[in-house]
Amino acid sequence: MNFSRRHFLIGSGAVTLPVLLSGCGFAPQQSTSSSTGSKTLTFTTWGTDAELASFARVIAAFEEANAGAKVELNSVPYGQMFTNIDAQLQAGNPPDIFRVPYYTFGSYAGRDQLLDLSPYLESGFSDRFTDAAWAAVQGNDKPFGVPHHTDTSAILYNKAALESAGITSVPTSLESAWTWDELSEVAATLRAAQPADVFPMAYNWQGNGVTRWLSLLFQADGRFLATNLTDPAIDSDAGAAALEFSSSFFTKNFVPPNNTIKSATFASDTWYSQTSAMVWSGAFAIPDATNTLDFEWGATFAPRGERGGGDFGGNALVATADTANPELAAAFLDFVTGDMQMRDFCETASLLPTRKDLSESGIDFDVRPELAPIFLGQASTVRAEDSSQVASPDMSRIITVLQDNLESAFAGSTSTADTLKSIADGIAQPTGGS
Amino acid sequence: MTRVVAEQDRVAPPPQLPKRLGRRDTKTVREALAGWLFLTPNMLLLGLFVLVPLVWAVVISFQKTNGFGVGEFVGVANYERLISDPLFWRATANTLLFTIIVTPLSMGLGLGAAVLFNSILPARGVFRSILIVPMAISGVATALIGVLVFNENNGILNTLIRFIGLPSVNWQSGGSAAFVSVVLVTLWWRVGFNMLIYLAGLQGIGPELYEAAELDGAGSWARFRNVTVPLLGPSSFFLLILNVIYSFQVFDIVFVMTGGGPQNATSVLVTYAYETGFVTRDQGYAAAIGVVLLLITFVFTAVRWRTSRGRDLAE
Repeated sequence: MNFSRRHFLIGSGAVTLPVLLSGCGFAPQQSTSSSTGSKTLTFTTWGTDAELASFARVIAAFEEANAGAKVELNSVPYGQMFTNIDAQLQAGNPPDIFRVPYYTFGSYAGRDQLLDLSPYLESGFSDRFTDAAWAAVQGNDKPFGVPHHTDTSAILYNKAALESAGITSVPTSLESAWTWDELSEVAATLRAAQPADVFPMAYNWQGNGVTRWLSLLFQADGRFLATNLTDPAIDSDAGAAALEFSSSFFTKNFVPPNNTIKSATFASDTWYSQTSAMVWSGAFAIPDATNTLDFEWGATFAPRGERGGGDFGGNALVATADTANPELAAAFLDFVTGDMQMRDFCETASLLPTRKDLSESGIDFDVRPELAPIFLGQASTVRAEDSSQVASPDMSRIITVLQDNLESAFAGSTSTADTLKSIADGIAQPTGGS
Repeated sequence: MTRVVAEQDRVAPPPQLPKRLGRRDTKTVREALAGWLFLTPNMLLLGLFVLVPLVWAVVISFQKTNGFGVGEFVGVANYERLISDPLFWRATANTLLFTIIVTPLSMGLGLGAAVLFNSILPARGVFRSILIVPMAISGVATALIGVLVFNENNGILNTLIRFIGLPSVNWQSGGSAAFVSVVLVTLWWRVGFNMLIYLAGLQGIGPELYEAAELDGAGSWARFRNVTVPLLGPSSFFLLILNVIYSFQVFDIVFVMTGGGPQNATSVLVTYAYETGFVTRDQGYAAAIGVVLLLITFVFTAVRWRTSRGRDLAE
């Protein structure tokens, strides 16, 4: 056969096109093929090196425990994760299992995109999880996923910066956590002791992290959705207290002016560069901070308002509604939340368990294990009535409403009353509440 | 007299060469066929990746969607919603302001750089390369550099400003300053491209024209104004359309540098459409925003096309 340049180009194109497309993460998933009788699951996630390594170990153990089962791990950058998942769901070729933040979970569960796990889970399955964690994966009182891990915000502090302001001790137990007033006093002391361009703290509410503002709302014993998860409940005394307390961070110069909701500079960067003495942060930041920072730092609890409280961060694992292998998918979700598997994941990735037993007995982070009790203690302040609100199907829209209105309130453009009313109206629009 | 000559010209029959016409016809058909063959791949790609999504977006703009499944037809409800949406008008105003500022500045600075680097200048190749380098960097990377430069706490620019004793600028927390920072980074990214196109245009202008103008007593400004600028008409037309379209479509720099903030001071139509379509999953409304953007671009291009006299001017 005469092999011409034209043949070569056509052949090269045919070979490279699928490779290029798969490199973009847009190539259709391999069929899970119950039609072919195979027991293969596709699992799409993003993750740090530690998280992906732990997932790989879990998969290997699952495949060993289930003869013939195979789980194909597809790791993608976080930035592309959900545009890809949405496109795949719309095109009818989603993965069998994917990882999803609790605040995005409702968008899928509420729109019939996820598998109702009720028929596939043994009775009493939910008993392994904390109430707050189990509440975060419910849609219409049915479980549409498993709570894989959680995280919540505590306070990391620069020891030298606090000591130079005369603050030599920080709370070491939940019971002795600073009250809001005490935190304000600490911040005022730091404000007075530090140069004008160094600030007492930075808050981690940038971007979708706006849900971390809810920590303050919960500490004020408030809610943003009523118990029917439809009516807005933020226009309340608790809402006003949380908003005024957080706005005071700006009016009293406790945080840098660019520590706004839509800022491109994350709170952690502000703290890393020693522009702030303290930062609100999840446990996930511990490995990076340990590797990066050349100053001595510690952690303490988030403050108490009417009660202790925190945002319910972290991620669930879910199976898609049309998976060809629902039993196998449910078995994997069961396996991956086993005690050994969850301990391995949380300890290596510096994240918090959602299992009751691990939350009670405690875990040791691979990096800075002495900080694990602080974050575990903080996570124990999260109540089921707090986390269940985050599972709202309209959470994505609520996040946008919170971002726009809090940004405006922090800049002093809108009064507390107007902001709360605007947030309540914005929440009622998608939820249909009143 | 002129009219008579013209009339005669018009009725004069074309030369008849029947024997050679057949061959010419075949040749014409072959050339046309080859032309279409060359065009076909591009037309297919254009149709698949531009026209089909475009039509689809128009269809979706008449639907209410939640991100999954088939949307519900709601007529012009999404367009009606646009009228009463203050965020849409804010984003539209910001987009227009951005376009009005960035387009003439990009072209002016690009032309200035092209004229400078077209002259006999030591190491002009190096300077040209320095200006063109940002073109080779992705918009996101450019914007990330912008974040480092314009970080108001410890960015390079504020550090320099403080070093010379001036008060630091609130590049991130002040609306106007944030807008300026986006404009400056866009200019840094885009001036090199404008310079490149103008440089190509300048090198197509023969030196004899400048010699003739000089002999006629034209000074350097007169030569620039009456020779260079008119003969760069096609380049200017091309750059104007492209700069306006790019400005209307600005996304990555705003998205990374400011996220549309503070308080929507830098929110533009595409960032608003993106957030609506991919964050809140209101894709019907996002498509309506996109269609409005398309219409604005079409109208501008059509008006400019009809009013431009310099687009086909050549030496």
